[in-house]
Amino acid sequence: MSPEDFDRLQTLVATRTGNRLRRDRMNLAEHRLGPVARRAGFDSVDTMLATLWSKPVAGLAWDVIESQLNGETWFRRDREAFLTMSQELLPALSQARRGQTLRIWSAGCSTGQEAWSLAMCALDLNLDVEVVGSDLNRIALQKAHKGAYTGFEIQRGLAAGTMVRWFRPEGELWTADDTLKQVVRFERLNLLDTPSADDEAPRFDVIFCRHVLIGMEPAARALVLQGLERRLVDDGCLFLAPSENLNGESLAFRPVSGRRGLHVKSPTFLQDAA
Amino acid sequence: MSSRLCLIVDDSRIIRKVSRRIVEALGFDVDEAADGAEALTFCTGAMPDVILLDWNMPVMDGLTFLRRLRAMPDGGSPKVLFCTIETAVDRITEALAAGADDYVMKPFDGEILHAKFAEVGAV
Repeated sequence: MSPEDFDRLQTLVATRTGNRLRRDRMNLAEHRLGPVARRAGFDSVDTMLATLWSKPVAGLAWDVIESQLNGETWFRRDREAFLTMSQELLPALSQARRGQTLRIWSAGCSTGQEAWSLAMCALDLNLDVEVVGSDLNRIALQKAHKGAYTGFEIQRGLAAGTMVRWFRPEGELWTADDTLKQVVRFERLNLLDTPSADDEAPRFDVIFCRHVLIGMEPAARALVLQGLERRLVDDGCLFLAPSENLNGESLAFRPVSGRRGLHVKSPTFLQDAA
Repeated sequence: MSSRLCLIVDDSRIIRKVSRRIVEALGFDVDEAADGAEALTFCTGAMPDVILLDWNMPVMDGLTFLRRLRAMPDGGSPKVLFCTIETAVDRITEALAAGADDYVMKPFDGEILHAKFAEVGAV
């Protein structure tokens, strides 16, 4: 891949997803394009890119873009957040909602481990819950939807007792059981597509959007945060990764002290909106 | 702060060596035993904080060791993680019922062991 190819790739990914590919990771970018080129029948990454630049086809462009997104995830990643959910937030929310179905969104769910982890938290407390996992990467979403993980994947973050309670061995894979599958669904969504202010879709009580903003440019982050705000109920909670600080870049959210990564809507913002 | 102790019980010298490298990286002192009987002797002298335990071993297997350990005074204190090639659900359930804190299916890697240690509260 030439530096010119990388520049165009960087622009393509930034425009469509808000993610800024790092120049010092050019090798990684090229490595990730290898399987895309093979699947699309090109003899090399260079040929594929040359074709893409000369006659841009949306399908191929998205395959290329999606391959560049960092999809690393595991069960109960940053487990502090899941403890906060199980011990404090979910019990409080279920009391406040008086038996209404709780809606939780795993935004940028990649291969789904976070969505399943959230569902297990809620079901362990016998709560009525609906979990939605969304991502841009269709290959990751397929895997998430199957809910089938290798021995390595299933053990990363999941205690054995939890694993055998919620997953069934099928050959080499461990597959989410039907009780779990009934409360989780996955859909493709670009977080840059913000809903309009009068969007009627039901909002979420809790949103997990972790390790997503970190790779994004400031303008994209602002747009994503605006979308998250519009999809979250006014007394809802937003979890970013423990290392992700907004540093005042959003007026809509403020961090909750003592709970790393946890954010709620700012009271001043709510007044302004009203 | 005194460093914490992890006992690795496995009849394979190679597995012990691999596990040792991972566990030392998590900040533990490590000692090794090649079967359940050796491990019991070790625990009589000094109770470790964490025990990585293989299932099938000569002299005394892991499950027998675990039951005897849990019957010892202070034998409830170590976090015990089974580490075996057994992946059948009833085996896993049996190990947990016998007092294992968690269960690791081989093959495993450093990331898995780190996550498991975190899940049982050992790190």
